[in-house]
Amino acid sequence: MFTGGKSFVSLPPAFSNDAKRLLVCTGNTVSIFSTSTGLQTCELEGHEAQVTSVIVVPATNPTSKVLCYCWTSSLDGKIRYWDFAAPELMKTIDIRFRIHSMVIPSLLHPRNDSTGKLPDLYAYISTEDVKQEGKPSSFGIQKCNLTKSRIVGGVTLAETRKPGHVTISPSGKYIGTCEKRKLRIWEIPAKDSEHVGYKKVRLHHTRSITTMAFHPTERVVAAGDVTGRILLWRGVGRETFSNSKSSNGRMNTDGEDRPGVRDTDDADSCTTWHWHSSEVNVLFFSSDGAYLYSGGKEGVLVVWQLDTGKKKFLPRIGSPLLYFINSPDPTLSSISCADNQIQLLRMPSMEILRSISGIKLPSSHMDMYEGFGSVVVFNPTAGLIAVPAENYRVQFYSLFDDREISQVQICERNHQPGDEITVKVNLVALSRDGSTMCTVETRLPEEGIGSLVTLKFWVCGSQKKQVSLSTVIYEPHRDAEISCIAFRPTGNMAVSSSHGGDFKVWVHRHELTPKDETVQRSGWKCHAVGSYKKKPMSTAAFSSDGSVLAVAADKVITLWDPDRNTLLAVIGDSLEPITNLTFIGKSEYLVSASASRGSKSSNPQLTVWSMSKLCVAWSYRLDIEAITCSMDDSTFAVLARSKPNGSADESSQHAEDMILLFNAEKAVPLSVWFVSKAQGGGLSFVSSDEDKVSGTKATDEVLAYINGAREYVLLNPHSEQDISRQRGFTNLDDTDTHGYASVYGELPEFSLKADQTAFPSMPSGKTWKGIFSGPSHALPPLPKLCSDFLESLLERRSGVVE
Amino acid sequence: MAEAFPVKPKLRPTSSKLTPSPEAKYWRSFKIPKDIETTPSKSFTFPINSIAFSPLAPHDFVATHSASVSIFSGKTLEPKPTISSFSDTAAAVSFRCDGKLLAAGDLSGTVHVFDAKSRSHLRRLKGHAAAVRSVSYPRAADKLHLFSGGDDSVVKYWDVTTEKSVFNLLGHKDYVRCGDASPISDEMFVSGSYDHRVRVWDVRVSNASSVMELNHEKPVESVLYLPSGGLIATAGGNFVKIWDVIGGGKLLYSMESHIKTVTALCMGKVARGSGEEAEENRILSVALDGYMKVFDYAKLKITHSIRFPEPLLSVGFSPDCSTRVIGTSKGNLYIGRRKAKVESEEVVGGLQWKIVEDDPGRKVPRPSYFRYFQRGQNLKPSEGDYLIKRPKKVKMAEFDKLLKKFRHREALVAALNRRNPESVVAVMEELVARKKLKKCVSNLDTEELALLLAFLQKYSTMPRYAGLLTKLANKVVELRAEDIKSSDQLRSCIRNLKRDVEEEIRIQQSLLEIQGIISPMLRIAARS
Repeated sequence: MFTGGKSFVSLPPAFSNDAKRLLVCTGNTVSIFSTSTGLQTCELEGHEAQVTSVIVVPATNPTSKVLCYCWTSSLDGKIRYWDFAAPELMKTIDIRFRIHSMVIPSLLHPRNDSTGKLPDLYAYISTEDVKQEGKPSSFGIQKCNLTKSRIVGGVTLAETRKPGHVTISPSGKYIGTCEKRKLRIWEIPAKDSEHVGYKKVRLHHTRSITTMAFHPTERVVAAGDVTGRILLWRGVGRETFSNSKSSNGRMNTDGEDRPGVRDTDDADSCTTWHWHSSEVNVLFFSSDGAYLYSGGKEGVLVVWQLDTGKKKFLPRIGSPLLYFINSPDPTLSSISCADNQIQLLRMPSMEILRSISGIKLPSSHMDMYEGFGSVVVFNPTAGLIAVPAENYRVQFYSLFDDREISQVQICERNHQPGDEITVKVNLVALSRDGSTMCTVETRLPEEGIGSLVTLKFWVCGSQKKQVSLSTVIYEPHRDAEISCIAFRPTGNMAVSSSHGGDFKVWVHRHELTPKDETVQRSGWKCHAVGSYKKKPMSTAAFSSDGSVLAVAADKVITLWDPDRNTLLAVIGDSLEPITNLTFIGKSEYLVSASASRGSKSSNPQLTVWSMSKLCVAWSYRLDIEAITCSMDDSTFAVLARSKPNGSADESSQHAEDMILLFNAEKAVPLSVWFVSKAQGGGLSFVSSDEDKVSGTKATDEVLAYINGAREYVLLNPHSEQDISRQRGFTNLDDTDTHGYASVYGELPEFSLKADQTAFPSMPSGKTWKGIFSGPSHALPPLPKLCSDFLESLLERRSGVVE
Repeated sequence: MAEAFPVKPKLRPTSSKLTPSPEAKYWRSFKIPKDIETTPSKSFTFPINSIAFSPLAPHDFVATHSASVSIFSGKTLEPKPTISSFSDTAAAVSFRCDGKLLAAGDLSGTVHVFDAKSRSHLRRLKGHAAAVRSVSYPRAADKLHLFSGGDDSVVKYWDVTTEKSVFNLLGHKDYVRCGDASPISDEMFVSGSYDHRVRVWDVRVSNASSVMELNHEKPVESVLYLPSGGLIATAGGNFVKIWDVIGGGKLLYSMESHIKTVTALCMGKVARGSGEEAEENRILSVALDGYMKVFDYAKLKITHSIRFPEPLLSVGFSPDCSTRVIGTSKGNLYIGRRKAKVESEEVVGGLQWKIVEDDPGRKVPRPSYFRYFQRGQNLKPSEGDYLIKRPKKVKMAEFDKLLKKFRHREALVAALNRRNPESVVAVMEELVARKKLKKCVSNLDTEELALLLAFLQKYSTMPRYAGLLTKLANKVVELRAEDIKSSDQLRSCIRNLKRDVEEEIRIQQSLLEIQGIISPMLRIAARS
């Protein structure tokens, strides 16, 4: 069993010390990407539940920059310590609470090694104590001694009702958490031990706080709220945290000169900035503390100059922002976007260098509109899926490589992430050989004005990289929406069926100029129109040899000759409208599923029809989400949803979705798998490659199931043997040129006779452009730069050459 | 990062017609020059029987109509004063090979010779008993003789200086209506007659009978020696025939694409680029059906055809490929001219020379001059230079800029002011996608609303836009009823709109009626 399609943006990622790797929490594992190529290099596997935080052990001196150690915490209650260069698990700590968040302040302190003995390492974890059934679980922030692998008893910093995300200041001096309308901040003593007292400060606000950030050097705290305001407290905890000497004098000044600070909050002043129109998700101080980065639902990264409040923008990122992380390399940082994409930014100039994108997640708006089902489409021969995304694009995603292949802009329109969706790519179809794609986009009307359905045919080039638009058809079925598009397995023909009561057969035509057959125009034209008693056509399918076209007209199935457009037969009379129709491989069976979407008291049915007798072979009462058939034999698989809870005769816990594998001739399922989140999922047989998947024969097909959350799994339908895979990770190789070569290009090769003593030049750690790019105030201090600069120029003698 | 997409109108279906071939483009590039107010407005009312171009630059041309011959400047296409010393209708005209003399026949049977420049009458060649419809000078070098053919079915070879006929060439049995001289020999010429025969004459063989006789099978209206001297094209009836003279008068091809009688032929050239090799010869034929066809006799194919609204009688094409003249039976002269590019280049060359001359006198500017700071700004890159291009500025329409700033009402008004219905509809569709159209409409002030109503009146019944605009018109009236009632301007707009909509409804009803009549018939036809 091979799974994929994980979310990259469930948690903030972490950079390695040399900023060449990016550690991303992907479900139960941590994936490591190269920042120079954007490809995955390796994966840390070990946790049994979702990983909730990853912390890279920072380098304390330049020599330890190459060290690659990290701590991870997970919902399975374990904290693990890894060497992610290898990758190798070093240590596991089991604390038996679900961990929602973890910070390790002592990693950020400069260690005092005066005693020669390393002090114990303490982590602060946001835990969830799962109690018995019926009782709400309790949450708290606890302290854990990582060196001794145990929780420090009795130290609970806070009890909360919801799992809180713990934020740590860049200096490691403070940790904080936001809870509803207040911030809690604790000071971590410089010498942390098991029994220390904590000073704490609370800051209050009138709205729910969504995120917070600490200033790297000063006692400044920023917080964002749900309305889009950014609050900036300066001088936080001057009374509490500073060693109070003249507390009396200070009390007098209270209430006089503290603009914006609420009641008894311990802060000097509170400023409010308001630019974002909705919830602020990202707050991050730049490493020198001069700027504050903020971002939210609009998909715009805003850079605030802290002293003046002046703004700079990085607009049109295209998706709500979730996290912003900077790297040890000052020229590199990353933004995590809600569409499962991590953008790497070149820093002072804020250009997007490259993006690491996972499978597009289903839109949160998609459930709002009936008929806006955005089901992923499989290309069984190439092992690709086409995923319609929110920003009018279709993403091609490789199932076996678990990475994005390409994206196609379907509709040339700007996407504003926060807006209500009015234009949507709602149908995608791929021809069997993958050479043609067909998309349908719909624009919703505004009070009955201006609705538009557009059908587009695309030609896919080799390797699915170039996709070019072939034909655009506006309103193919007047203003009725298209319910289904099916390609004929043989030849250039497609059929589109509409709820408006007709279907159209489209054919691909080439036009040659009569004089010199050089100019070629090709396009799709309407070949025939058919309708049956003006009934809404809900789905259509071609038989595997392409000789019969089956179109579901409401509750019956009509069979047509696609070439001559004549009605051959009408079969069936189901209780509910037919939603799914597939010919089973090369056998004589047709399988149909019927259910009325939405209504609870339905009579769902799965029916297998014998085409030779034109009657029902067998049927089940199942609510079917998807049907797929294998290309050669007569097996097919269905994705069946569990019954709605209202009519369930069993308890809701046992109601599970399942995948059933049938042979068309027998009504007994060959095998059953139980799955979850089948709503909006998809199922397909995918032909597997011998190179990529071991454990199956070269001719075998693999069953691919993708659930509503766009996580997919590949199953071997015929045997118990699991599909294992050697993942084709690319090696972390850095092709950047350094030092002299990056400026002047490669040196010409000297002949050895002319110059016996060749000095091999040592590449420096940084490129030239890296040192000096950006405005001068954003550069590191000159003494720091100078050595780097000189180092990059110097040629180092590595040894004596004879 | 997503780029900013401009608002684009819907695509239109591309016509199934193929893109014009380079040759069709070439023939279409002969356009009526805008700076000349002649033709077809300045018409002669009488049929233009004949057109001839001077063989010398600037290739003046003449046209005969009624009893006069008009000379046009080849450079400006302006008409020069006409020669009108004819006693009867002038019928045929020909330039001498040096372009200095001009011969014209008239219906009284006289051939007149004029000085082309001074228009003075030099000779009168009398001898034909009936109208002279064909006059031609030898094309190669002979300046002393000319041929003429008349309705008395005689072809005469004249010595111009003495005004005497050298030979009477007999053989035709009907009117001789056309003739042409060989382009390579001064002694060879061809004549065509209404007795369906085309005769090739050689004056060196003075036995007064033709060297060759070709049967066109229709009264011959026009005959043309092709530049090689070995081929002849003849026109008569509604076809054009190509004959091989050297090969013993063999018929090579018969072009039958005109619908009515072909009246005239002339040589045309397709100039591609520059140089002699780039020119290809074509036969231009005009007919009473109003078509001018371009025939490629090398590939034996029609390469282009243009339709004119009147029956065509005569055609001429300047030897430098710049002008094409067609005369019609109603006296209109269609002059087409191609734009010349050569002259402007010469001017540029002169200027550059000047600059170079000035340069040595100028010293390298010192920093105290303002010019110092501008130096090198107009420097052109040399060949080996590596060019760093400035990123191309994206041009955005005003409504695009406004849409980008979310100023929706202003964007709609900006689009309406541009008066391009496609872009207005595109902006409206974008506003629908943003769910802002209704708000825009309700925010428009009176003048902007009048603009919108005028737009709706004009385009809401057009089938391409009707789907969106009729619904929108309804909505606008619904939303702004109060404002419309209170303003006179808007009320008149609404009145116009109402009138147009009623008209459209009438049309639709009559169309439905027609459909009602036709559909049973179609049903019956399908059944049988």
